[in-house]
Amino acid sequence: MTVDFISGVDVAPSLDDRVDAATERTAFAAVVVQIKQAFPPAFPSQRVSRERLHQIDRVFFGPFFREKYGMGGDRALENDRIRYYGLIEPANDGGELAGRRYVHEFDTMTGCTRGWHETVDRAGNVRQVRPERNDGTTRHYQFDSNGRYRGGW
Amino acid sequence: MHVDIETVRRVFEGVLSGAISREQADRWAYAVVRQEETDVVTYSPARERERIWASVMYLYGVDTMKAPGEYLHSDNDISEAMNAKLGEVAYNKAAMPLLVSAPVAVATLSL
Repeated sequence: MTVDFISGVDVAPSLDDRVDAATERTAFAAVVVQIKQAFPPAFPSQRVSRERLHQIDRVFFGPFFREKYGMGGDRALENDRIRYYGLIEPANDGGELAGRRYVHEFDTMTGCTRGWHETVDRAGNVRQVRPERNDGTTRHYQFDSNGRYRGGW
Repeated sequence: MHVDIETVRRVFEGVLSGAISREQADRWAYAVVRQEETDVVTYSPARERERIWASVMYLYGVDTMKAPGEYLHSDNDISEAMNAKLGEVAYNKAAMPLLVSAPVAVATLSL
């Protein structure tokens, strides 16, 4: 593990507070190590890729949502949103449907959230979506195994 | 809002006995989830917070249907889920920690 200098950050101690500054430098180095572990370094002139921004978003917002909604995993989308997937609650009816899970979506730009229940088949395809509507009513939207919309009620 | 584990258990049992409809259980759980998003929800016993939350998240959407008028989950599914999420919780009122502050609201289910 290495600790690199970060340009533009001055950690040189003055003559009066050399001991305190040494302590600060140690703490500072520890923080840098933590950040470097979370986000691998990029050159200052390099534009941060969208993939890397998504990675940062997932790490940053994870503690807020992963425990509550993301036990089944999470995924950063191209539109700056992160989806958190709950575990699949099984439906043991012997049919093609495996069960349902709750999906929670967080918009990192606006802070808005929304959620819905997905019913998935045994092949892992989403076959039904039940969003939460603003008026408090629920509606089911069904899809076939190829993802084509079949209708709703 | 305050949610205790016995309330969650009663909702499960109410659904299984037919005393509570699945739609009512779903809306009750939805209210807890909404409150969790916008305000503070306390759980008791506090040490069972994860179990209570997992149970609430199961009940939220328990009325999902696979076809009009046909629920996705059977009663057996729900019973198994209740046992898996709450089954081994050793609940002892005498040992339950006291709440420091008075809860703003209590999650109740009105029939």
